[in-house]
Amino acid sequence: MSEQFEPNLVAFVCNWCTYAGADLAGTSRIQYPPNLSVIRVMCTGRINPLFVLNALQQGADGVLVSGCHPGDCHYMEGNYYARRRFTLMKDLLEYVGVDPKRFHMSWVSASEGAKWKEVVETTVNEAKEVGPFEQFQRNKINW
Amino acid sequence: MADLEKLRAVAKETVSRDDVKYLIGWRQGTYGFRVSPHFITEPEEADKLIFSPLCSNNLATYLTLVEKLPVPRGQEPDTRKIALMVKGCDSRAVVQQLVEQGIKRESVIIIGCPCQGVVDLAKVEEKFPAVLEQVEARWDDGKIVFKLSEGEKAVPREEVLADKCLRCRYPNPVTADTLLWEKVEAESNDEYADVGELEGKAPEERWSFWEAYFSSCIRCYSCRNVCPMCYCEDCILDRLNPTWVNRSNNISENTAFHLARAFHLAGRCIECGECERVCPVNIPLMKLNRKLTKEVREKFEYEPGTDPDSKPLQASYRPNDQENFIL
Repeated sequence: MSEQFEPNLVAFVCNWCTYAGADLAGTSRIQYPPNLSVIRVMCTGRINPLFVLNALQQGADGVLVSGCHPGDCHYMEGNYYARRRFTLMKDLLEYVGVDPKRFHMSWVSASEGAKWKEVVETTVNEAKEVGPFEQFQRNKINW
Repeated sequence: MADLEKLRAVAKETVSRDDVKYLIGWRQGTYGFRVSPHFITEPEEADKLIFSPLCSNNLATYLTLVEKLPVPRGQEPDTRKIALMVKGCDSRAVVQQLVEQGIKRESVIIIGCPCQGVVDLAKVEEKFPAVLEQVEARWDDGKIVFKLSEGEKAVPREEVLADKCLRCRYPNPVTADTLLWEKVEAESNDEYADVGELEGKAPEERWSFWEAYFSSCIRCYSCRNVCPMCYCEDCILDRLNPTWVNRSNNISENTAFHLARAFHLAGRCIECGECERVCPVNIPLMKLNRKLTKEVREKFEYEPGTDPDSKPLQASYRPNDQENFIL
C-alpha cells in the first residue's frame, strides 16, 4: 500500500477536564491529528475497563483514556479509582500480547490545550508504529 | 492429622443446633478418586463426611450459589446459619465474600480444616489410569497414600499435588469458628514463576500462547459457575442489553470473555484454582488470574481474602498509587 496507515482511535475523556482541555485546544487553533474519536463521559471513574476491550473488538486500533489530574476530580475521587482499574487493565492487555502502545491514559486539565495536542500526537504516532489492530477484532475473524 | 472422628463429631454437634440450616462438607464420590460435596441436615448423615487429599472442591461457592427465593407474604425469612468446612484457600474465599459483603458473618459457621495440600486429579489419573472403584486417600509424612483394590500405594506429594498447593502460602484457614486440628506449616514462598516465565516472552509469542487457548474455549462458563467470587446476580455474560460480550464462539468474543472475567477477578481472586480444575478444555486460567494477583500484590500491597476488615481493592484507593504509565 502506498498510502500511509491512518489509525482509528477512540478516546474516552472526562467532561470536566480533558473535554474542556480539548475544547481549549480547538478554540486556541492548535493543530493536532484527526484520528481520534472523542467520547465524552462525566468522569473517568465512569469508564468501565470493558469499554476498552469493546472498542478494540469493534475496530479501534488504540484507546486513550483521559481525565482530571489526581486531586482535581469534579467528583472528588473518581479518577483515583480509574487509575487503579486502568493500571490493572493495561497490565492484563500487555500480558495477553496486545501491544502496550495501543492503550494510553493521561491527565489533561481544562487549561492544558497544548498538553492535549501532545497526548494525541503520542497516541497517534504510537498507533501508527504498531499498525492495524487485528488480534481480536470482530470483523477480522477468519472462519 | 485429619482426625475424621473429630470432624464428624464437630459436624454432628453443629447440625444438631437449632440455628443451623445445613452443613456443607465433603464425602466420597461415586467412583474413582472423585469427591462430592455433602450437604447434611441430620446428625446421622455426618458419618459420611471425609477430609482427605482428594477434597479439592472449594465449598465456599455454595454459600452464594444458593437460590434466594422471595419470601412469601406473612412469612419470616430463614435466618438460620450455614456451616461450612473450609481448607486454607476456601477460607480466603469466605473472607473475600465477607469483605465484599456478599454474605454476612453471622450467617455462616466456618469449620476450619488445616490442609496439607490436595491432589490434581489429572496427575493422579495419569499414575493410576482407569480406576473405577472408590478410592480413599490420606496424608502420610510427605507422601500421599491411596487405598486401591490391589493394596495401598504411597506416592511422594510433589508428584500428585495440585500446582496451587505446591505454592500454597495459606494452608491454614484465615478465619474459623472451630479449628479441627493443629495448624500445618506453610512451606512455600510464592514467587509467581509461571507468570514470570510467560512475561519474559515476546508479545507475539504471548498472544499466540493465549490465542491457542482462547480459541479452544467452548464458553461453557464452568469457570464462572464454580468460582466462589463470581456471584453477581446479574452477570454481564448473561446480559443482552447492553451486550458486553456476544454469545458467538470466536476468538474475538472468547478473548473479550476471558479478559473481562480475569479483570472482574482483579484484586479478588483468591487462587483456589477451581476454574482451572473444572475447565473441560484445560485452559490455564490461573496463569491469567495470577498475573493480576501478582500485580495487585506488587503495586497495591493488597492480598484478597486475608483480612476480613480490609476494603475491596477496586472500591478503595490511595492518593499515592503509582502512575508511571500515565502520559
